Amino acid sequence: MDAVLIFQSLISGIMMGMVYALLGVGFSLTWGVMHVINISHGAFGLLGAYAAYSLLQYFGVDPVASAAMSVPVLFLMACGLYQLLIRPISRAKNVVMASMILTFGLAIILENIMALIWKADPRVLTPTYSSGALIVGPFYFQYPHLVGFGLSLVGITVLYLFLKKTYTGMAVRAAWQQPEAARLYGVNLFQISMITFALAVSTAGAGGICLALLNSFEPHSHNLWLIYLFLVVIVGGVGNVIGTALAGLIIGVITGLSMAFLPFQWVNLVTFGLLMVFLIFRPHGIFKQEGV
Amino acid sequence: MLSVENLTVCYGQMKALRDVSIEISAGQMVALIGANGSGKTTLLNAISGLVPIEEGKITWEEQSLKGLPPDKVCSKGIIQVPEGRKLFPAMTVEENLMMGAYHPNVRKQVQESLQKVFSTFPRLADRRRQFAGSLSGGEQQMVALGRALMAKPRLLMLDEPSLGLSPKAAAEIFDIIRGLNKEGMTILLVSQEVMQTLAITTYGYVLENGDLVLQDDCKCLQEDPKVKTSYLGM
Repeated sequence: MDAVLIFQSLISGIMMGMVYALLGVGFSLTWGVMHVINISHGAFGLLGAYAAYSLLQYFGVDPVASAAMSVPVLFLMACGLYQLLIRPISRAKNVVMASMILTFGLAIILENIMALIWKADPRVLTPTYSSGALIVGPFYFQYPHLVGFGLSLVGITVLYLFLKKTYTGMAVRAAWQQPEAARLYGVNLFQISMITFALAVSTAGAGGICLALLNSFEPHSHNLWLIYLFLVVIVGGVGNVIGTALAGLIIGVITGLSMAFLPFQWVNLVTFGLLMVFLIFRPHGIFKQEGV
Repeated sequence: MLSVENLTVCYGQMKALRDVSIEISAGQMVALIGANGSGKTTLLNAISGLVPIEEGKITWEEQSLKGLPPDKVCSKGIIQVPEGRKLFPAMTVEENLMMGAYHPNVRKQVQESLQKVFSTFPRLADRRRQFAGSLSGGEQQMVALGRALMAKPRLLMLDEPSLGLSPKAAAEIFDIIRGLNKEGMTILLVSQEVMQTLAITTYGYVLENGDLVLQDDCKCLQEDPKVKTSYLGM
């Protein structure tokens, strides 16, 4: 095997993995903190991607700027959705199941709205630098991939610092680890759940834009993204931000290597096979520590 | 300061508390004793707002607490140290303590409060960067107490603070509780360590299957034949 090819696919795997990680952290947080498995998480990512597509197409807005704009917009939208849809099901006997059915419906609605507005044709984000590449010796890094990677890294770092350094972030972790004690010390669970959900949806939007810089997308792409989300969260451990980030990288590298060395049709088999192996042997993830 | 009148709490069809009334005045240390499942924890949780009230009143300084969610009850200075400590296991000792001062009313003084807690529990200062889940039972109880002190309690409700601790660690915790009360803190102490509890409290209530069966000065309770046979094994 060719060392250059291995290294090259390793690098692109890491870049892709970082994007999976950004998409995955929010999915992991809503799951861990609120016991809501948000099936529409990928669809919100796709919504971000389409918004960036239109902003670029019609107004020449760079995807990085779109990502920055989409975060507050999606945050507010998600606050409203939480109050309208998610909060009422927190009284359900089985929140996990109720949330999956509810957000599955939401995903279908979002998918069809996107098909209505943007049609079913595959789209690509093509900023001005899309054909450029950074060439270092025998390796080349496409600019959109570098931008997607960089944006994801920033997104995850910001989210991590928020959870680690702010009082609200601490309350999110506390509510996940020990909700009753958190309430006894002044945490309003509804408020924290709303913030968690809104953060998750807005990071999904940013993640979707990053992923759109790497791959083409169409209204049903979120279904495939969702499988990756499950994989990343299950490998990384539910509610664990650092674990999710590392899992994203690992899965990115595995996908990158299998893309380089296996026939195309085997790549998804490897990923889904990995998901099954994890569900059977290590359903709690590879990392021990939880809740960060 | 706090009065509970004719309180009834239900879990579905089952009545966990029936017509219970208790009274705590400022500076007092009151004991709540009873066997497992007698409703002690339910009473604390009803005061804290964690479980809904079926009937009756809970009044704190002339204001009703009925229907208030736990974060609102906490803002009044009514702080519970829950049974089994319920620390945030994957957060450090320092973060656990800081969560005690989460409420905006007390958050401004968080650094001062931290110093105070560390001077009360020097061992926690050494372990401030460790995860709470990695500490021993006695140390965890100190974190739980410290977290409550961070909230600047006006009424401190302790649910089984010595459960699962070695006799030495339990004695240490009871000493600290007595010290807090001497400094003027109002305390409601729930415990199965009936002898130790009655020795440091002034007034006591005895719960049995959700009913309040006995109440008296602790000196009298210690001599009460029913208490002696049921709880002290004499």
